[in-house]
Amino acid sequence: MTSSHWLIILTLAVAALSIRIIGLFAGSKVRASKHSWVLEELPGLIVVSLIATSLSGQSMQMWMAAAVALAVAITTNHVIATMCLGVAAFGGLSLITG
Amino acid sequence: MLNLMKHGAISILPLAAGAALYGFAFGLLAAQTGFPWWSVGLMSAAVHAGSSQIVAVEQFANASTVLGAAFAGAALNLRYIGIVASLSDVLAGLSLRAKLVAIHITGDENWALTMSERAKSKDIGASFLIGSGLVMIFVWTLSTASGALVGTVLPDLERFGLGFAFTAAFIAMARGLWQGRSSILPWAVAFGLAIAMVYLGLPKAYAIVASALCGLVASHMIRQIRSASQ
Repeated sequence: MTSSHWLIILTLAVAALSIRIIGLFAGSKVRASKHSWVLEELPGLIVVSLIATSLSGQSMQMWMAAAVALAVAITTNHVIATMCLGVAAFGGLSLITG
Repeated sequence: MLNLMKHGAISILPLAAGAALYGFAFGLLAAQTGFPWWSVGLMSAAVHAGSSQIVAVEQFANASTVLGAAFAGAALNLRYIGIVASLSDVLAGLSLRAKLVAIHITGDENWALTMSERAKSKDIGASFLIGSGLVMIFVWTLSTASGALVGTVLPDLERFGLGFAFTAAFIAMARGLWQGRSSILPWAVAFGLAIAMVYLGLPKAYAIVASALCGLVASHMIRQIRSASQ
């Protein structure tokens, strides 16, 4: 457990509580502002960027496993099912390709 | 009041069971990235935001930059501004301290359950939210710490492909955040640019922020074009 581990926990906790407090005291104003669409769009864009950076430069088997996970996510909309079947696909493809 | 808290605590149990599975899986992965089991429990109790935690831990494990990991994690939590704002009627009349406790233990699951039950009966309010929230934060903390405890005694799970579980979790999150056809172009811009930036050697943490911002610009331009044509 390094100081960086402590710092990430502390920073995340402060950020999470701060966002909730903003919602408590200024949420109505933020939601009514002309920039409220940013709140709706940013989480999805961050997640898509995370997926892209995870896949960039990776092997074909990882891209194929990602395609399987995407198909499961679209079909089930279930996090655990997507994780389990995605990992199974990745493991299976690794065995096939050696 | 106690009856309504108990009602909330019991009603949330099926949803808490689902969160426990997710929490256990997260704990397993977090332990593999060097977080001791007790620190995973501490993080869950202090942050209480599943998707935010999983994103931050993955970013921290890969890039080891606290700022980038915290930004990515916090960005996932922005929806709580809207969620907490929608609770203004529910929390009215509580002391500031009680409000702070209530918003900390509010998660997606107990918020959604409280709002749907409140639509059926106006008796459902802060007590129900707090009762269900206490169960959720307890289950989340316990399941993530348990997962991490098991994860520390297992061999390196990365070689079994478990590292891909993070990517799969992000794909599942993206499915939940999909807003229809209006998401296509901004998401394509963000995805393509993030791939290109990492390929060109930009650190992942910066590529994520830069490509997400470019996606926002694309989304803004689409909105401008739409409003101009109307």
